[in-house]
Amino acid sequence: MSAAPSRSRRALRAAAALTAAALSATLLAACGSDDDNPPAGAGKAVDITFWGWAKGTKEVVAAFNASHKDVHVGYEEIPSGAAGGYAKLSNAVKAGNAPDVFNVEYPQLPDFVSQGAVQDISKYVGADLKAKYLPQAVQLTTLGGATYALPLDAAPQVFYYRKDLFAKAGIKTAPKTWDEFRTAAGKLRKAQPGARIATFFPDDPTTFEAMAWQAGAQWFGTAGDSWQVSLDGPETTKVADYWQKMIDDDLVRVEPSFSQQWTASLQKGQTAGYLGASWGGGVLKGTLPKDQAGKWAVAPMPSWNGDAASGMLGGSTFAVSKDSKKAKAAVEFATWATTTPEGIEARISAGDSSVYPADPELVPVAAKAFKADFYGGQDVYGVYRSGARSIGQKWTWGPAMGVTNTSLKDSFGRLSSGSGTIAQALGTAQKDTVSELKNRGLKVSAR
Amino acid sequence: MSPTVPTTAPRATRAVSAAPSARAAAGRRRYGAPMVLLAPFFVLFTAATLVPIGYAVYLSLFAEHRSGLGFGGGETVFTGLGNYTRALGDAAFRGGFLNLAQYCLLYIPLMMCLALGLALLLDSALVRARRFFQLALFLPHAVPGTIAALVWVYLYTPGISPVIGALNSVGTRADLLGHPLPAVVNMAVWEWTGYNLVIFFAALQAIPREVLEAARVDGAGPLRTALSIKVPLIRSSLAVVGLFTVIGSLQLFTEPMILHGTTPSVVSTWSPNMYAYTAAFERHDYGLAAASSVLLALAAAALSFVVTRATRTRSGRTRPHTETGAAV
Repeated sequence: MSAAPSRSRRALRAAAALTAAALSATLLAACGSDDDNPPAGAGKAVDITFWGWAKGTKEVVAAFNASHKDVHVGYEEIPSGAAGGYAKLSNAVKAGNAPDVFNVEYPQLPDFVSQGAVQDISKYVGADLKAKYLPQAVQLTTLGGATYALPLDAAPQVFYYRKDLFAKAGIKTAPKTWDEFRTAAGKLRKAQPGARIATFFPDDPTTFEAMAWQAGAQWFGTAGDSWQVSLDGPETTKVADYWQKMIDDDLVRVEPSFSQQWTASLQKGQTAGYLGASWGGGVLKGTLPKDQAGKWAVAPMPSWNGDAASGMLGGSTFAVSKDSKKAKAAVEFATWATTTPEGIEARISAGDSSVYPADPELVPVAAKAFKADFYGGQDVYGVYRSGARSIGQKWTWGPAMGVTNTSLKDSFGRLSSGSGTIAQALGTAQKDTVSELKNRGLKVSAR
Repeated sequence: MSPTVPTTAPRATRAVSAAPSARAAAGRRRYGAPMVLLAPFFVLFTAATLVPIGYAVYLSLFAEHRSGLGFGGGETVFTGLGNYTRALGDAAFRGGFLNLAQYCLLYIPLMMCLALGLALLLDSALVRARRFFQLALFLPHAVPGTIAALVWVYLYTPGISPVIGALNSVGTRADLLGHPLPAVVNMAVWEWTGYNLVIFFAALQAIPREVLEAARVDGAGPLRTALSIKVPLIRSSLAVVGLFTVIGSLQLFTEPMILHGTTPSVVSTWSPNMYAYTAAFERHDYGLAAASSVLLALAAAALSFVVTRATRTRSGRTRPHTETGAAV
């Protein structure tokens, strides 16, 4: 009688310990391994698989499949990169069941290449094809001398704002410099105490990075075979101090991007502007209620000296996964989607995309397909075009942006509670990035 | 009965020694059915638990190393315990355990007291509509954790939450998104109180009525009966719930992860499980992720050992008096 309970309790204890161990270990190993490659296309049409999330992608794939006999694309929509799409992708690559081709944004491309998730497609990409794209976009997809992806869009940063709210606050024209931006922010708050000019996104360091890029900073560089990391150079510090002061003086909101809070404050007219990119035009139109149509306008980014200058915020590319045996077909599809009028038209006609093509020849096509009624019929693509031309040419993304951005995000999270500053966040991210590069066996040299 | 024993036993022995195949057949009869019935469990247990654990341990001993600028692909090298020292040396990982400890200290006593208190109330004669309350209190647990977390996030978010709006209008500033710990504890309490209440209530219902009658005859009021008779009698239920809650708490992931998507004040490494997730899927460092998972598993195993040990010695003393313990 006394032995039985104690034995069963010992069993329970063992089972409990095992269960605990199992639960935590399975989280990781759930991404098991499955290693068979699909057989090379035996029939006439080569079937390729494609993962993406950009607006209008479904329509692009449908148009491609309707017009092509040799290649058939199977499309699967995944969550956007930051919202879990990249996790899904790197999981699939690790498990050996990655799609043949997938979308990846410029900042993450070097990380994916460095993980060995992307294959070198140089031999399929001729000089004439490369010459079609904006040079900044080509530069960001060429790593260590090899081509790793085809650029879909150049994403110049621009400023979206509410014309009516600006007029009510007595602001005649959109701010051209950052000083004017600050003045406008003050006026706007004075005219309507609950209103702010824009939002600092603590969850999305890429907006800040685009502004550092605009200011002429260069976070990453290479010298021979070693990396140079400089997240705390004078240009970046200038941008950091500016935004720190905007936050301290309560002139901007601090809210996550595309959060319910942010959307609600835009809908209520409590946030009168959005520092977004070219692709944001379609997103904004799709997010906000119809009664705000015609009240919004687009302006070039404010700059430090009043001259046109822009950084790139996001922007997508088509990359071919490492183990794909159908790289040629994948590149054929990516070429079609990024350099033909049909490809761009299909994307924008779908309604919610305002992509600015990396192939400048297609900009008129895109401008024609985009319905600008939400922006009162403004020549939105004209603003994007001058923005794209003014994108700084020196910028390169680092090979561990996952670590860099996670570090920044975690520090930026403390901004709203008043503990920590943007400058401190950059210092921490610098340290984290350098230690991660060294940990991976990469050389890091001082600039 | 007794005279037949000596005659049948030798015969059986003779039969067995004469025909070994018959013994094997008997063995098959004896073990065959249980083996067949247990096989599916062991196959799944091996495939879904043992193999993944082994693979995680294996992964934790390796790291990816690259050369040059890192674009030429990398090689996997054996690092021994390198990933473990890296995880333990990371302040973010240790910070996750600190958050977890605070969470446990706040959540476990709060939830247990609430569940026990409500179960005692339901068990008392005071309550009308007992079935209704039982169901209503259990209902939150039927909502999947992710959905519950999303609903709570909505209620926490200033600008859209009716609750925060109402609090603000009466002049109270509530900022739950800026204070992740109470926000997460609140979600967990809401989700698990009803579930554990049902366990406690079932144990209370199993207490023999004569014991309670005896207490009443001896002059114990309802409160005295609850504290001195009922609670000691369901101590083993308390122990089991405590054990499962401790293990469950160490797995803390869904609630803070959903909050992380809404408020960056819940950092990407807020709980140890989130640290492992971030290491694998944002930093692409599977070795580090595996090492931190294994460390968490070891911590969970150690802690559950301590909890069972502690509750055994305590409830062991009262065991001779209980009859309800066997129910668990």
